[in-house]
Amino acid sequence: MEINLNRVDYIQVGVTSQKTMRLLPALGKKATQKVAVADHDGILTCFGMKKGEAVPVFKTLPGQKIARMDLGGAAGTPQEKIFVCSGSQVRGFTKKGKQFLTFEANLTESINAMHVSGADLFVCASYIYNHYCDCKDQNYYLSGDKINDIICLSSENGTCLVPVLACQDRVLRVLQGSELAYDIEVPGPPSVLELYDKDGGEELICGTTDGNIGLVQIGECSAATKWEIDNDKKKGGILCIDTYDIMGDGVNDILVGRDDGTVEVYGFDSANEPTLRFEHVLSESVTSIQGGCVGKESYDEVLTATYTGWVTGLTTEPQKAEAGPGDEVRMSKEIQSKVEALRAELEQLQVKVKQGREQYQQTSQSSTAVSAVPVFSINDKFTLCQDDASYNLTLEVQTAIDNLLLQSDVPIDLLDVDKNSAVVSFSECDSEQPNGNFLLATYRCQANTTRLELKVRSIEGQYGTLQAYITPRLQPKTCQVRQYQIKPLSLHQRTHSIDQERPMNRLSLVGQFSFAEIHSWVVFCLPEVPEKTPAGESITFYFHNTFLGTQLEATYCKGEGHFKSDNISTISILSDVLSKEATKKKINLNNSYDINDESVSHTLKMIHPKLEYQLLLARKVQLIDALKELQVHEGNADFLIPEYRNILDESANLLEEYKKQPAHLERLYGMITDLFIDKFKFKGQNVKTKVSSLLEILDNYDLNSLLDFFNEA
Amino acid sequence: MLVPIFTLKLNHKINPRMVTVGKFDGVHPCLTAATQAGKVFIHNPHARGQKPVAHRLSQSTQDSDISLLNINQAVTCLTAGTLGPNTTGDTLLVGSQTNLLAYDVHDNADIFYREVTDGANAIVLGKLGDIPNPLAIIGGNCALQGFDFEGNDHFWTVTGDNVRSLVLCDFTGDGKNELLVGSEDFDIRVFKEDELVSEMTENETVTSLCHMHDSRFGYALANGTVGVYDRTARYWRIKSKNHAMSIHAFDLNADGVVELITGWSNGKIDARSDRTGEVIFKDNFSSSVAGVVEGDYRLDGQNQLICTSIEGEVRGYLPASKDLKGNLMDSSAEQDLIRELSQRRQNLLLELRNYEENAKGVSETNSGMGVIPANTQLQTALSVRPATEAQKAHVELSISTPNETIIRAVLIFAEGIFEGESHVVHPSAQNLSGCVRVPIVPPKDIPVDLHIKAFVGGKTSTQFHVFEITRQLPRFSMYDITVDSSAAPPTGRVTFSINDRPQRVAMWLNQNFLLPEGVDSPDITMNSLRGGGLLSISMASSGQITLTTDDIDLAGDLVQSLASFMAIEDLSAEADFPGYFEELRTTLTEVDEFHSVHQKLTAAMADHSNYIRNMLVQAEDARLMGEMTTMKKRYRELYDLNRDLVNEYKIRSNNHNALLACLKSVNQAIQRAGRLRVGKPKSQVISACRDAIKSNNVNALFRIMRAGAASS
Repeated sequence: MEINLNRVDYIQVGVTSQKTMRLLPALGKKATQKVAVADHDGILTCFGMKKGEAVPVFKTLPGQKIARMDLGGAAGTPQEKIFVCSGSQVRGFTKKGKQFLTFEANLTESINAMHVSGADLFVCASYIYNHYCDCKDQNYYLSGDKINDIICLSSENGTCLVPVLACQDRVLRVLQGSELAYDIEVPGPPSVLELYDKDGGEELICGTTDGNIGLVQIGECSAATKWEIDNDKKKGGILCIDTYDIMGDGVNDILVGRDDGTVEVYGFDSANEPTLRFEHVLSESVTSIQGGCVGKESYDEVLTATYTGWVTGLTTEPQKAEAGPGDEVRMSKEIQSKVEALRAELEQLQVKVKQGREQYQQTSQSSTAVSAVPVFSINDKFTLCQDDASYNLTLEVQTAIDNLLLQSDVPIDLLDVDKNSAVVSFSECDSEQPNGNFLLATYRCQANTTRLELKVRSIEGQYGTLQAYITPRLQPKTCQVRQYQIKPLSLHQRTHSIDQERPMNRLSLVGQFSFAEIHSWVVFCLPEVPEKTPAGESITFYFHNTFLGTQLEATYCKGEGHFKSDNISTISILSDVLSKEATKKKINLNNSYDINDESVSHTLKMIHPKLEYQLLLARKVQLIDALKELQVHEGNADFLIPEYRNILDESANLLEEYKKQPAHLERLYGMITDLFIDKFKFKGQNVKTKVSSLLEILDNYDLNSLLDFFNEA
Repeated sequence: MLVPIFTLKLNHKINPRMVTVGKFDGVHPCLTAATQAGKVFIHNPHARGQKPVAHRLSQSTQDSDISLLNINQAVTCLTAGTLGPNTTGDTLLVGSQTNLLAYDVHDNADIFYREVTDGANAIVLGKLGDIPNPLAIIGGNCALQGFDFEGNDHFWTVTGDNVRSLVLCDFTGDGKNELLVGSEDFDIRVFKEDELVSEMTENETVTSLCHMHDSRFGYALANGTVGVYDRTARYWRIKSKNHAMSIHAFDLNADGVVELITGWSNGKIDARSDRTGEVIFKDNFSSSVAGVVEGDYRLDGQNQLICTSIEGEVRGYLPASKDLKGNLMDSSAEQDLIRELSQRRQNLLLELRNYEENAKGVSETNSGMGVIPANTQLQTALSVRPATEAQKAHVELSISTPNETIIRAVLIFAEGIFEGESHVVHPSAQNLSGCVRVPIVPPKDIPVDLHIKAFVGGKTSTQFHVFEITRQLPRFSMYDITVDSSAAPPTGRVTFSINDRPQRVAMWLNQNFLLPEGVDSPDITMNSLRGGGLLSISMASSGQITLTTDDIDLAGDLVQSLASFMAIEDLSAEADFPGYFEELRTTLTEVDEFHSVHQKLTAAMADHSNYIRNMLVQAEDARLMGEMTTMKKRYRELYDLNRDLVNEYKIRSNNHNALLACLKSVNQAIQRAGRLRVGKPKSQVISACRDAIKSNNVNALFRIMRAGAASS
């Protein structure tokens, strides 16, 4: 069962945040709904569609950036009051645009997530959760990591609300009053929560920044995952979810918007498993998604808002092109008038802009005037991709990007991304020390590129900063720099637990340092650690290496730190960096090691299947061309041994696989070499001279001879 | 939306750029392409199973529509078309690194098979200038050669570097075809028979050329650029991160004007308007495109656009029918229009906001915003810097701000002088200042526009103002005025006379050299910073100009640049480059040596293959007789012989490569001698040199190079 939805653009507002567009409830049956959308200029716009034209109901004055929007109203009445939060303030508007509430939450940080239910207001600002009832403080909770979203379930009797927080450390926290009831582990950092059934129930849908969706049933003291949709196709992270019966089959479908512009509709098959029914790609992040009826009566649609403020509908209404030939030439009257209005507006604007430009030029004659161009908004994301152990950098700007300069003071590889059409050019880096550049690359973008995707591969142990200078096509021309830390253990990712059975190496630190100090060092070394010093006396974090699958346990408190890993290189890097950081603060560290020789062979055995697979793949790929030639020469492949015939049959898949992981083998070799050097470093031997014989062994790889070499050398 | 009308999977790989369509029996078009292992396949779905198997041709066992042609050499180019006067069908022409084969597919017979020492990198078939018969023109290492249907060589000339692409079109509009040649020295040259009439300089190897209509033609470069020229003026160009594999002109939207169809290395096909470069249609293959051709493949009287991928996938597209109204893409034009207008409105609003906010002034002292004095203006200066101990000789571009603002980074976009298209200077945080010096070393003497973008702000800013400035680097920028008398004066020189005032020459000097202060006399001595020694220019009162330098290329560049500045059409000159001529003389003797070695080796190889035959028979005899020891012995000997053959092959191929290099330098020498003259004298020198080489008269060759053709 497939559906066909056609795209219609309604209006454009300013840059929007996640979940800032909602549909107001319909007044009568089958009437069109009004849309409320809020943007970074602080403007809340409410509009409805009349004869294909957006007619504003009201528009507020500009102000501080609006981060979230929610609808509310007294229980039992239509939820048509609009609540928006900007800074630490929450404001309420009626559907006519009358402001009836201004509430100052008195938080030091700005609110980034909000939920309204009857007289209850729930707000979250980075680590803090606050619950107000009738604007009176009720409950308070401090989370261990950043809170991305909040939703409330109403318990069975409907009297008590159960708030659920989506926290950056891959956990959903279910609260009871001011206390944590229990937490739920999810596979990736959750970014959005939505109720599965808007009328209540205990099920909620959770989307993660790495693109997974799951349905979780929240029970009294535990939760169960009903289903999950994996992100096999490497689409973007989830930004918004809604449930709506767009297919018209009586079951609510799931509407999903992602940060790479993908809009998806999932329906349910006979086995009640979610299946993809529709997909459409907009060119920019989809920040809000809603199902309803906006453009024309009795035609349902999926309404989306994107980062640059486009409100776009994907409607079930058939497009005119299909009505019949001949209609297309003459633009419909509505559109014609729309175009004319736009053109007129453009002309006026151009005059204004010209004046502005002249004035700006004039100021350049004055010796006292300054030129200060307002900061433009950039939506950026720098995340570790688990599957190929590389970083994805996405940059999104409100207007077209002209060029991008990437600069790094640490050796990294820039990989080609198919989606990215910009022309890349690498500039020579003067290796002389003063400038210390390891990478200088420019991306010259094609017209109308508002979103850029890059892939960067780092090497563990080498750390520094990656800087991106973004210049949009906007006069007067400015560029903005964004910095991204490449951490020493850049390929590690937080996980919930580790396998304690593996042979482990230990590093213990003792010294005169505070809990906050050692926490800041750990933040410096490892990704995905909250910057705030955790509450309590001590803390334990678990990590796993996305490339090798090795693990790390970090436990520390005031004056003491213990790190356990089955990978000796991880321990070596940690010890180097931590000592260096401590020396910077003039703190004397007492390092002690407990090296388990078993761990090296264990790690090598873990690498073995990967290495063997890669070697085999490389060999097969090498043979493909020759075999194909033989096949052409002989006319068929029947004379070949089955193994070769198999390679020929599989050739397309093999090549695909090979293309997906460039330099995989070299990376594995590099890590084995590190392992080798580090093993003997802890024994106080320098074995750099033997690396060439190690590489020789790797060239004729055999696990046993490699193990022997590690043991003998 | 336009969809393919047929799709074929041919199961044979296709070599990039080696695809053509030929009507070999005069009726049925056959897709013909070079594939692996030195073979050419002919796809003929119209006449199944009629082909006898003989000579070069064999039926493919996988697919009955395909016959394979064994060339036994790596194919480098191929084409098909009418060559002979009385043939019914098209002739197939296949070029390799050493030979050109003209083949009649219908009769299954060779028409001619010629050795071409300069190789055949590109081929084109058609009429050129006033030559009556169609010619198969091949472009090889610096040389162009045209053969008629009997294999006679009717056309020969040299060009600046290895030829990569050829096309015939009426460039001058005189009703006769000119030959357009794209080569590895980034030039597109136009030959009216053997006279060079125009030269356009691009910034990468010219990999493809195609004729659009009238004097308009499309081109593609190795760096992913595609564009359209009308005569010597470039209409538009675009650059992609992918490489253009093949370009072709075809009227896909049926509006009466051809579009430029490009097949890309990532499998994309797009059609662009010849006027604006706007994409009107695109489609995707799963692998790189190999070639784009056209032909009436369905035999219904309408030509289709046929696109092929390197994996052997073929798609045919018919021109759009009328009811598509030229709208081939899968989107609604109205929606796009509204979207575009809204986007523009948004941009203007943003710009307006920028001015408004700026006019308001800075309310809060936000250091991240990068506030700079409004009267900040960047100063740029170009100067020549001779080599020091720390740094190589270079042209220095210095960029500075007049106040306390700093330059965070400088981006320079320029073509042809950097490894990529841009060069970045990004000082580390400790070294930030208001002045940045960028060393530039242009590898060639070409004029370059430097598009400079400088990020200016405060030390702790996160947002910077971008200053965009364009500066031109003159053609001869790597020359520094010196009066260093200690260096030995150059021995090479060119002398010619012009009818112009010395001031004009001085003007040319000022415009084309980077001189610290202008000169008013045309007598000047300079030092080449690329290590080419001294260069001096002097002009006598009679109008006679003498250029002395040891670098014959530089002399040629100077003559060409001066002639175009003075608008001189014909210029003859006398030249002497003793050093270079001596080198050339050695090269010529080497060529002879390599030739004789080549012959010897070929004879030895024939001997060895006879031995092998004998030994194999003996060995098999021994096996049949059951004499295992003898058999083993024979096979061991055979193995040794095989090893010898492999070694000999290596020697032979080394010898061949050395020979090719020598021949290339001989061709280049002729081209260089030509470049010292302009117009008619130039083509005369080139043809006279060619004759001298043909007749193996080395002394005459040097005499021509020195004195020009007129005096010989």
